[in-house]
Amino acid sequence: MEAETSNQRTDLTQLNLAVEQIRESIGHIIVGQKDTIEFLIAGILADGHLLLEGVPGVAKTLSAKLIAKSINAVFSRIQFTPDLMPSDVLGTSVFDPRTASFAYRKGPVFGNIILIDEINRAPAKTQSALFEVMEERQITVDGQTYPMDEPFMVLATQNPVEHEGTYRLPEAQLDRFLFKIEIQYPTLEEEIIILSRQHQHKLENELKEIKPVLSIDQIKTCRTMIKALHVEPKLIEYAAKIVHETRNNKSLYLGASPRASLALINGAKAIAAMQGRDFVTPEDIIKVAAPVLAHRIMLSPDKEMEGLTTADIVAQIIQKIEIPR
Amino acid sequence: MKPPSIAKKNTSMLKYPVILLLFFLTLQSIPVQAGQPIALKTEQLKNDSSKLQLRHFDTLKIDTYRQQPDFRYDQTIPVDDSLWNKFWAWFWRQFSGIATANYSGSMFRYIIIAVFIALIVFVVMKFTGVDFNIFTGKSKTIAVPYVAASDNIHEIDFNTEIDKAILTSNYRMAVRLMYLRSLKKLNNSNLINWQPEKTNQTYIKELTDPYQREQFSLLTTQFEYIWYGEFFIDQENFKEVKNSYDQFNTGIR
Repeated sequence: MEAETSNQRTDLTQLNLAVEQIRESIGHIIVGQKDTIEFLIAGILADGHLLLEGVPGVAKTLSAKLIAKSINAVFSRIQFTPDLMPSDVLGTSVFDPRTASFAYRKGPVFGNIILIDEINRAPAKTQSALFEVMEERQITVDGQTYPMDEPFMVLATQNPVEHEGTYRLPEAQLDRFLFKIEIQYPTLEEEIIILSRQHQHKLENELKEIKPVLSIDQIKTCRTMIKALHVEPKLIEYAAKIVHETRNNKSLYLGASPRASLALINGAKAIAAMQGRDFVTPEDIIKVAAPVLAHRIMLSPDKEMEGLTTADIVAQIIQKIEIPR
Repeated sequence: MKPPSIAKKNTSMLKYPVILLLFFLTLQSIPVQAGQPIALKTEQLKNDSSKLQLRHFDTLKIDTYRQQPDFRYDQTIPVDDSLWNKFWAWFWRQFSGIATANYSGSMFRYIIIAVFIALIVFVVMKFTGVDFNIFTGKSKTIAVPYVAASDNIHEIDFNTEIDKAILTSNYRMAVRLMYLRSLKKLNNSNLINWQPEKTNQTYIKELTDPYQREQFSLLTTQFEYIWYGEFFIDQENFKEVKNSYDQFNTGIR
């Protein structure tokens, strides 16, 4: 068993070229935020929905718009507000007097890349409308099911929950996001570059110049490549141990789901492919562990009072599990 | 201090309720004073001349009752005679003795009770797994159960195992063992600090000598491609890999 080796390798040249092009086009506008860009690209390649969290003004929406712009696909934007209704997102049946029947009018969720801005400003009722479309890539209205076009991806932005006028997203919805990418403040040097660019009116021109670098077909091909990536059985076990530990950890009130295990492997595959490898290493799993798990788990009340974060617990879990080698 | 005029006004206001109260009290006593004298009815008591029979407690029966555990109120005797119940009965008797003894002052009694309560809290917290550091607010480390290592590099007889793997043409396993042996050598030379949960990249960063770091980085890449990536390795390729490991190991002092 140990002597078996894999000769079926995946050629990732095309994928790496595409990734490099996206990196370059976004990197022209977004200053710093290297990890954010990496996870955004990884999310697209791993066929997952992404949640971007950060305080106001750290380029969450801009990052999401740029990543959407770099793909030649149908882009749709929904601004979530407290009075938004599920029918405003999914669409609704409208009575047609000419035919004396109801006709379904599609909502803005129909598209390839859906940017949901300020997702946590809408109440749970509207959030629930996204459950089916995010997981099953289809919408059922009046007994009729409408499948989404491929690729389908939700890019959502939100302010931290402590901010005014925000709701905590339901656990079931959070679980549907592959990564939660936390966008931090730029460093002093980065801020100086941002200001200089803005001052020289470079940013406006660069934004207009952004052109799609990936077609829908290319995205589909990249995703197929990533699915074919090799994961050593011991690494699957390692990923499972990490997720399993979240369910037994005393610091956690809610552990991660099996969907999180799948996300951990898929995310690690995307990261490996972006680095030109057709196999996953433990580092890939560790790299995606916090973005995959931190939003899926909940701290116990005492640990929350101590000021710990879910990312801290994920880091502590990783530090305690042996690397398979 | 209130001005004298206000104080006087308050006194005059209090006058009326007091007068009213006195009036009602007076009304209560009027019927007694104004009523007719009450005629008292007297009756002669009769002498009871019947003969009384004195009864005495049956001391024998009392003694029998005394022997019965149900009537021994001064101490609780366990229902069954198991050693565990006897121990607790003894324990509570001792405790009760300490708490109520004349020589123990009130302060001493309170200390004993406080210690006992603290002991119970400690046992409960220990059993429920509550983090004791919540009182100090310093708890940043969480005890995650250690996942047992599948291979302890300090226990493997590397030379024998590598030879076995080569003999069976299991070159992939041989590369893995050679990599683990290099890690052990680096650890023994205090060049890295071996911990099973550290990644290969962490060990590369721990190496301070740039040449050694570069060499080890190459070996790590080889190992990752062969072990995690399951890249095909034949006898010829293995010879090259083995040479790299031998060269690297000779450089470790």
